[in-house]
Amino acid sequence: MKTILISVVVLFVFCSSGFAQTLEERIKTLEETLKKQEQTIKEQQKVIEELKAEMQKGKPPEQQQVAQPKETPPLAAKETEKPTIEQVQQEVGQLKEEVGQVVEAQKKNILSVFNPAIGFVGESIFSYRSQGSKETGSDRPGGFDFFQRSMELNLAASVDPFAKGYAVINASADPVTGEAKVEIEEAAVQTTSLPWNLTLKAGIFFGEFGRLSYIHDHELPFVNRPLVLDNYIGGESRTIGVQLNYLLPISHYVSLTAGVGNQFGDTPNNVNDFRHFDELNFWGRGSTYFDLTPNVSLETGVSGLWTPKEKDRGGELVQPDGSILTERRRLVVGADVMLRYLPLRNNQFKSLTWGTELLYSDNRYIDNVTGKPAGPLFNRDVGSFGLYSYLAYKLHRQWTVGFLFDWVQNATNNHDQTFAYSPYITWAISHWNQLRLQYTHTTHNAVSPLKDDDAIYLQWAWIIGSHAHGWQER
Amino acid sequence: MKSRLFRLLPIIPLVGILCLAAMPAHAAKIRVVTTLTDLADFTRAIGGDLVDVHSLATGVEDTHGVPMKPSFVPMMNRADLMILIGLDMEHAFLPALVEASKNPRIQVGKPGYVDCSKGIIPHDVPKSTDHYAGDVHPYGNPHYMLDPVLAKTAIKNIYNALVEFAPQYQREFVQNRDAYLAKLDAKIADWEREAGPLKGVKFIAYHEEWNYFAARFGMNFFGTVELRPGIDPTPRHIEELIAAMKTEHVPIVVREPQFPEKVPKRIAEQTGATLITLPIMPGGVPNTETYIKMMDYIIHTMVTAIQNRR
Repeated sequence: MKTILISVVVLFVFCSSGFAQTLEERIKTLEETLKKQEQTIKEQQKVIEELKAEMQKGKPPEQQQVAQPKETPPLAAKETEKPTIEQVQQEVGQLKEEVGQVVEAQKKNILSVFNPAIGFVGESIFSYRSQGSKETGSDRPGGFDFFQRSMELNLAASVDPFAKGYAVINASADPVTGEAKVEIEEAAVQTTSLPWNLTLKAGIFFGEFGRLSYIHDHELPFVNRPLVLDNYIGGESRTIGVQLNYLLPISHYVSLTAGVGNQFGDTPNNVNDFRHFDELNFWGRGSTYFDLTPNVSLETGVSGLWTPKEKDRGGELVQPDGSILTERRRLVVGADVMLRYLPLRNNQFKSLTWGTELLYSDNRYIDNVTGKPAGPLFNRDVGSFGLYSYLAYKLHRQWTVGFLFDWVQNATNNHDQTFAYSPYITWAISHWNQLRLQYTHTTHNAVSPLKDDDAIYLQWAWIIGSHAHGWQER
Repeated sequence: MKSRLFRLLPIIPLVGILCLAAMPAHAAKIRVVTTLTDLADFTRAIGGDLVDVHSLATGVEDTHGVPMKPSFVPMMNRADLMILIGLDMEHAFLPALVEASKNPRIQVGKPGYVDCSKGIIPHDVPKSTDHYAGDVHPYGNPHYMLDPVLAKTAIKNIYNALVEFAPQYQREFVQNRDAYLAKLDAKIADWEREAGPLKGVKFIAYHEEWNYFAARFGMNFFGTVELRPGIDPTPRHIEELIAAMKTEHVPIVVREPQFPEKVPKRIAEQTGATLITLPIMPGGVPNTETYIKMMDYIIHTMVTAIQNRR
């Protein structure tokens, strides 16, 4: 007991002295601050008095920090010629006008201080395809078609000092009814101040897989998403989940990403029953970058997507031979490379980009060979390859020409192959207004039930309001 | 005995790492990343041997269009200070890079995010930011660094940031800053004397980069090759510009090196004006590696162009 009492007393004395010391330090700091403030006030008073004296003499105040209006005589002239009162008054008037402009600009910001940055993207595609939708497998009709693919509202703002939030609300015309179908394409929160080079994102967003699957349609370097991404991923890599990104703390750029979510691509997994952990989608990506010369760079990455146990994703897949496949496992791996020549001096006017992504899909299906409800069931693993490769040459700030090659083995039947060849030209009238003309010739091998076709697309994409230059647009 | 030694071997690198970690923070240089080369030049002048400075731009790029290279990210990840021109000059590349850097020290609003436009009263603040007016900057024209007097505000801001980050080196920073300002003030006096013949001279340029320069040296910035900031010229705009230049006897066409020569050359040929290529940041053309050398080059080239016409 005695020992405890002594300990408490010693602790109290120690803490008190510590506190006293802290208090003393604080008072000292406060005194120093006061002294500094006194000094500043004295200096400011001196400047005010000097200015007053100069004004009385009819001299203009020194304006070293102040921008001069257009056609103001140079300083050298000022030194030799004393300005008249009228000149000083004129200068003060101009200065007032400039300050007024700045105040007005500030007011604009004050009014919008609680509003997020708002932008709107419109994208129309006018096309002609030589075959109908049954022959092309597309959800768009053949022949002449006007398609309002995107009407996209973008919102973004800081949530607080620790996170930012953004949303992309998209409406597109239904191919059958023509009605606008509105959906939340993305709505996510992302941390901005996690330690250890980490960033966490959660909500509905495009998960990081490969190079182009998380790019919005209107930002693609060509009109349509590559066939292999449509076939293996299901279009944009849209997910409802959570994703963690880590930047390696070394002098070379290496970025690692891992995520988990209900869906990845167009359809969620197991929507109607109890979802187990192994029925979630898991994905990851590692990427790095090399400056080969100041003007030539190489960016490369590997990605993986795994759903250990699939249930009802995409429903029953009726095959051309009448058999029915039901997906039971999804595994997609990919490697991508982008080689770019971007001359530093006129990078806005010239560039040459070669981008390629190779994917391997290794899905497992339950195969109902007869297609009848009581038919025998077999497990079937299908390994399929697919790739896209494009070359884009920017010959002017406004003009880019390119060529896209597509090849894909069907994810459910690797004997069924499709090839597509797409030359295109892009006219970027400004940063916010762009037209693109693309011709696509698609061919299929004999196994495929689809027919060869030719298509011409004219895409018109435009943006109003806020438009951030995101990291993925590099 | 040998096996014991081998067992101890892995400890050696561990001890090394611990020693490195235990080194006092002030022993390392202050790591500074600047967006443009003029800011890097000023930071080196003030910071001397105490700073390790990297510029994202090499000098030849467009000040609004430095490519977003992932190789910048690790450099920015370790930076103590991120120094920028501000007034939205770097809006096309810096916000995404700062976010990708994951460096809490240099995020907007943090002491490490050093906006050098603090204290500048900008020219040409737009009444509206509608894109009808082109890629306008909502806070005003950001090209104030081409006025050497306003550049001193940037120097002041850089000095303040360095002192705030490393107050123990204030004496060195003051010495370096004062020495550089003395040199710059002497050069400003020289430039003003040398630029005498430029007073009242009209000129056009590709982009709205010369407003502050013109105001400082009494010149008249007559117009731009671009239709609007960031918008390429239309044939009609070029025709109107040529007609106006002929009427007003505009003697100089300035081409910034990051823009193509074809259109400015055609305008110069059709109006009889002299075409000159001028850098907009140090390193833009050969022998302009520092801010002072760049301003020397600009004034000298402008004056020579005017004198050769007389």
